[in-house]
Amino acid sequence: MQKEKILIVDDSEMNRSILADMLMDDYDIIEAEDGVEAVAILRKQVSELSLVLLDIVMPRMDGFGVLEAMNQNRWIESVPVVIISAENSPSQVERAYELGGTDFIMRPFDALIVRRRVVNTLLLYAKQKRLISMVEEQVYEKERHSDLMIDILSHIMEFRNGESGLHILHVRTLTDFLLTRLTERTDRYHLTMADIALISTASALHDIGKMAIDEKILNKPGRLTNEEFAIMKTHSTIGAGMLSDLPVHQEEPLVKIAYQICRWHHERWDGRGYPDGLAGDDIPISAQVVALADVYDALTSQRVYKPPFTHEKAVEMIVGGECGAFNPLLLECLKENAGELLTALEADSSEDIRRRKLRGISDEALRGEGGASQRTLRLLDKERMRNSFYASMSEAIQFEYTVSPAMITVSAWGAKKLGVDEIIMDPLRDERLQGVLGDSVWEQLSRRLRNTTPSSPEVRLDCPLHYDGATRWHRVIMRALWSDDIHPQFEGALGTVMDIHEAHQKMQELEQKASKDLLTGLLNRASAKEQIELRMQDNPDSHFALAEVDIDDFKKINDVYGHMFGDQVLQQLARQMKGSVRRSDICCRAGGEEFFLFLEYNTDIEKTIDRIYKRLCFTCEDRPVTVSMGVALGETVGLSYEALYHAADLALYTAKRSGKRQYRFYDKTMEETLSTMSDAGTGGDAPPQ
Amino acid sequence: MTLRECYDALGGSYDEVLGRLRSERLVQKFVLKFLADGSYDLLCRSMQEGNHDEAFRAAHTIKGMCQNLSFTTLGHSSGELTEALRNDGTIASAAALFAQVQADYERTSSAIRAFQAGLG
Repeated sequence: MQKEKILIVDDSEMNRSILADMLMDDYDIIEAEDGVEAVAILRKQVSELSLVLLDIVMPRMDGFGVLEAMNQNRWIESVPVVIISAENSPSQVERAYELGGTDFIMRPFDALIVRRRVVNTLLLYAKQKRLISMVEEQVYEKERHSDLMIDILSHIMEFRNGESGLHILHVRTLTDFLLTRLTERTDRYHLTMADIALISTASALHDIGKMAIDEKILNKPGRLTNEEFAIMKTHSTIGAGMLSDLPVHQEEPLVKIAYQICRWHHERWDGRGYPDGLAGDDIPISAQVVALADVYDALTSQRVYKPPFTHEKAVEMIVGGECGAFNPLLLECLKENAGELLTALEADSSEDIRRRKLRGISDEALRGEGGASQRTLRLLDKERMRNSFYASMSEAIQFEYTVSPAMITVSAWGAKKLGVDEIIMDPLRDERLQGVLGDSVWEQLSRRLRNTTPSSPEVRLDCPLHYDGATRWHRVIMRALWSDDIHPQFEGALGTVMDIHEAHQKMQELEQKASKDLLTGLLNRASAKEQIELRMQDNPDSHFALAEVDIDDFKKINDVYGHMFGDQVLQQLARQMKGSVRRSDICCRAGGEEFFLFLEYNTDIEKTIDRIYKRLCFTCEDRPVTVSMGVALGETVGLSYEALYHAADLALYTAKRSGKRQYRFYDKTMEETLSTMSDAGTGGDAPPQ
Repeated sequence: MTLRECYDALGGSYDEVLGRLRSERLVQKFVLKFLADGSYDLLCRSMQEGNHDEAFRAAHTIKGMCQNLSFTTLGHSSGELTEALRNDGTIASAAALFAQVQADYERTSSAIRAFQAGLG
């Protein structure tokens, strides 16, 4: 099989050469070193080219100039263009796409990507061409069938009317010819190629009314009497009546046009025709043209009552008004182009001509209102439209990320919502995108993507996004794309982003409620434990202290002053605790009158603890409240919640046994104290009060 | 001198270029071709003559070649020169950037020549 030809346009010999090396095994390569040369090559051999790879920045004529020339000459419709460039400003990309560029390859070239883009583009265009020829084939097939039916009908009519065998065919050809010339002269009748084809086809029916006329009158060799002529004249209304009496197809354009032709093809431009005496353009253009074609062919054909006249003689008689009165514009069309007219009549039944006309009609159909083959492209785009429709319905943002070229494509709706471009080249440096994501989200997403494998390519992340002056939580779900190679390469990802802000907030509220003590608003034991362990795990080199706090004689306070006052004491202690440490430290009500504090420190923990302890002894409604406190340090017992808690508990126990109203740091001797249950609680600081 | 050593000497990324072009033969072919390209001479001439458009295009071409060959160092300086010429433009204001390009080109071309000499 012959290789497809690719034109590479780049001013750098090396760049052309790299691309050629990547592609020459599978394609024939032609090179051009600037835009002028490229246009020259296109002009000469555009029909042989399958693809153009086009650089943007070049001397003499740049890539945009080439694209413009391709648009002017409509080459862009048959040859796809892939832009190659190091240009990464979105406006350049946009302009290239607007000018009909199909795809983009960024420098530096990657052999695999270049080959794939080329193959994909060629496939896409092959598919489009196939669709066009399919439509063309269908139109042709349909027309062929109706032509066949009309040929049969014509044959029957001719047999009965005794007209020359080619009359109906000639009338059709003449109609087509005259209408085509007419549209070249004037827009007055708004005729498309499809209209012309329709009128020409319908012209075959102009004399169907003659079916109802007595054969003796139809084929009478001599002149008709007045009565006979009156009967003959009825064929126009009879024919029109046959069509309007059709039980079906009344709305078909063909039937409507055929009705006009049957009824009015004996009207005259001066209003002296029959049956209705219409004048000028009150006569439908279809009937005007068929009337002229009918007369012309009658004059130039042999009839029982006359020999054939020459073209010149016939035109002379018609223009001289001997055979009726016609639209002057149509007469001009008939007078000029005599040569072409005769050729057309001779070549009448040639398949080639018919096929060529059809080609025109199907082209027109494909172009529709919007210009170049949009309908075909629309077929191909359907899938994408469906996707983006569903995406917009679900209010999800869809995107596609490719590593090389580094690029993110965001669905139109999503780009609008986030306030970013639909095509983001070099996303790492795109300020708007980075503003939406923030550093840590970008970093987390790319790390997780790169940690995927071809067998488990999915990534989920709930994260805050910043746009429209607000921050909302979203869920990002991505599927990493890996190449099919033996050593799969990470190539990019497909993704969708959903707004989960409301749901997320509700969850957080619930979590917070579940993790907090209702009376004091401090964390409960379980969640404090969780957070403490997390904190130590994340910062294994930091210094931490755990202080267990117990209100002295709380049972007595409750008994004497009541539970309401007891609750007040608990709440105030919680406030004092929070006020005595940093926000990042952890305060917890472990249960009853037992609290603890977990804090990070850098220097002089003893001074810090002393300060905190003093704040935890306070007066509530003029009644003094004191606490006992046991403190354990991570550097003494190790960074384990269990060990810290055990040690702090022991220190608290020691403080209590030593008379309460004091704090103690844990030391090893306390273990013995516990085991011997002795009273020897020594080593602590003196109580403050 | 191996091709990798040549890349180290001129400040480029051999792994990256091999990853893209996928063949050592091709990389070597284009590295050797780099010296034959006239863009650098054109750049020098255009800077001297004050031909702004020509200088921009030449710098742009050099940047493009460097990207394709993963000549990171020269690619960076020629890229900066390209942007400077594209944006505001005067030849004079780009002089410092041009000096950097000259230095980097010298480094690149001498590394390639050394590699070439080793091939015999």
